[in-house]
Amino acid sequence: MSKLLVASGLVLVTGPLCFMAQAQDYIDLEAERGEQTAPAAPTSTPSSVGQRDPYGVQPAQAYPATSYGVNNAPSAGPAAPASSPRAPAASSGGQNLGTIYLQMQQLQQEVMRLNGMVEEQANELRKLKSQSLERYVDLDKRLSAVGAGGAAPASNGGNASPVVAAPVAGPGAAAGGKGAELPGEADAYRSAYSLVRGQQFDQAVDAFRQFLRDYPDGRYAANAHYWLGELYLVIAPPDLESSRQSFTLLLSQYPDNPKAPDAMYKLGKVQFLKGNREKSREYLERVVSEYGSTNSSAVQLSRDFLQENF
Amino acid sequence: MKRLILALAPLLLVVTAFHARAQLTIEITQGIDNPTAIAVVPFAWQGPGTAPEDVALVVDADLARSGQFAPVERSAMLGRPSNQSEIFYRDWRAIQSEYLLIGRVVAQGADMRVEYELYDVNRQQQVHSGNVTGPANEARMLAHRVADAVYEKLTGIPGAFATRLLYVSVTRNPGGKDYYRLTLADSDGARPIVLLESREPVLAPGWSPDGTQISYVSFETGRPAIYRQNLATGAREQLTNFKGLNGAPAWSPDGNTMAMVLSKDGSPDIYLMNLRTKQLTRVTRHYAIDTEPTWMPDGRSLLFTSDRGGRPQIYRYDLRTGTTERVTFEGSYNARARVAQDGRNVVLVHQQSGRFHIAILDLVTNRLQVLTSTQLDESPSIAPNGSMVLYATKHAGRGILAAVSVDGGVKFRLPSRDGDVREPAWSPYMSR
Repeated sequence: MSKLLVASGLVLVTGPLCFMAQAQDYIDLEAERGEQTAPAAPTSTPSSVGQRDPYGVQPAQAYPATSYGVNNAPSAGPAAPASSPRAPAASSGGQNLGTIYLQMQQLQQEVMRLNGMVEEQANELRKLKSQSLERYVDLDKRLSAVGAGGAAPASNGGNASPVVAAPVAGPGAAAGGKGAELPGEADAYRSAYSLVRGQQFDQAVDAFRQFLRDYPDGRYAANAHYWLGELYLVIAPPDLESSRQSFTLLLSQYPDNPKAPDAMYKLGKVQFLKGNREKSREYLERVVSEYGSTNSSAVQLSRDFLQENF
Repeated sequence: MKRLILALAPLLLVVTAFHARAQLTIEITQGIDNPTAIAVVPFAWQGPGTAPEDVALVVDADLARSGQFAPVERSAMLGRPSNQSEIFYRDWRAIQSEYLLIGRVVAQGADMRVEYELYDVNRQQQVHSGNVTGPANEARMLAHRVADAVYEKLTGIPGAFATRLLYVSVTRNPGGKDYYRLTLADSDGARPIVLLESREPVLAPGWSPDGTQISYVSFETGRPAIYRQNLATGAREQLTNFKGLNGAPAWSPDGNTMAMVLSKDGSPDIYLMNLRTKQLTRVTRHYAIDTEPTWMPDGRSLLFTSDRGGRPQIYRYDLRTGTTERVTFEGSYNARARVAQDGRNVVLVHQQSGRFHIAILDLVTNRLQVLTSTQLDESPSIAPNGSMVLYATKHAGRGILAAVSVDGGVKFRLPSRDGDVREPAWSPYMSR
């Protein structure tokens, strides 16, 4: 029914157009016949037909003089001159109307196409808005769950304990340096963190980057990488690649850090946002398989995300 | 994949000469992985002569068709109890039946009373009991009502077996004009009755919300006109006779208004007709094609198909505010929407990689899921309990009806023995 109705509707819409085109064809054809028969009547001169016929030799072939011209010659001869002057006039009038009609059709189609684009873009905007709100709510939830100066994401509760992955055999592990709090580090971290709480995300990015330059192996370095990963996602426009790098760094250098499952979950989300569904699924499934036995909320979040999107 | 062919018993209640031709058979093509095993024991007949209808067989077939049950073969049954005292649970455990349905059919003059009890075999206790009464010649409908009750008890969802289908069958007539037959049948395709036979197309059958009247488009006068017809009296009324397109009638949920497509003012637009006064109200006003209106269950808005955005998509018109918003965004073709009673699930025709499939759209999450793997699917119609979608498709070069559950898990076909079948319309719950 659907296609049938639309189809019948289309016929309906294009109907008048077809009609016009047909009418025009008819008039042109008449004119051609007039032109053809007129010279054919006295001496049958094909050269003049070819000259005067604006459509080339096609009509001459379609109506060979032998069968058509000869039979009609006596009667059509006198009638032809009368009809030929009228025909071109009617033809051009029809052509004008037809042109206008065609142009209107084109305009309508163009407007419809644009209409569709506006609708789709409005929808994309709506989606983006709700996504960014979601992201913000997610971040806000984590923030509010973290105590003032707390280091860990909400998913781990206010974890400011000194238990940090000290013995890491990462390639960039500065022996002994990692995990020890350096003088001034806590203050620097807190001030960067307060920017996050104040929702000054761009400044927070700068602050954490500065923090990592100053204390690359400090006690809060893993946290800083994590926050950078989060922040790159909420700044406008989001920097997915930098976010991915931050989370990846955290995972490779601090695999035993309490935030590792969260980072892995976030990597899944980042890959999803980047359109790499397979990689995304890989990370999310790894969260579930590697941390399924822990009480990390990243596990549940990954499960939910997998269920919703895969 | 399970493949089970149930040839429905030919009926004695032949109403028209075309009965045999229009009969649909059911082939289950896909069921769920772990259907519930249930034994439906033949019901005892308490009346003169033999039972006019094997009620238990109809219940059995209904449950099997839902895809959620695996009825036990009669030949495997170790007993034929019809009363609680005759039940030996070990007999049913032995054949791994989880549930047991027994019953009795009692003749009461021209009426018939079906009493039934449902037992949980493992817990060895009665789960449900009930009875239905009705005219003896409606025995199949009584059986469907028993199946409805059992289905609801075990799945938590009301059954929709005691409902009916409308469809159009077309018999090609080489060298002559085709025959179009508007047919009414039970939800299992049995007892088909031809309501209208015409040599001109019959389209877009639909139901009044109380299931007592139907509407359709017929070209019998040489051009399309919308009719409504009372099923009980057969009284018929021509509602429209406008120039151009008269199509896609859709009753409002309160039954007072009919949405329709007319092209009398130019391009096809949606109109509302007050069925009492016959007064027309124009709803859409656009040079694009607006068609296939359908009502949201609250009656406050309409969904319709329009190509005002360049491609056919579903739009929603709010009758109170007069605003139109686009509903579908996924894909370049979405049309012919029908809304489930929950007002949330919308089934529609969706084009994906050049093929037309039936898809379901969740209006809350905006998630669209393609349900069918067949192609050239059209005219989806959703069961009143929202569990199954009936649609028209092509199989082996012939137009057939097919059904799919709203989660895509259960699929079956209802091929006609002859001719093409199209445009199914699943009835609402029938008033009893």
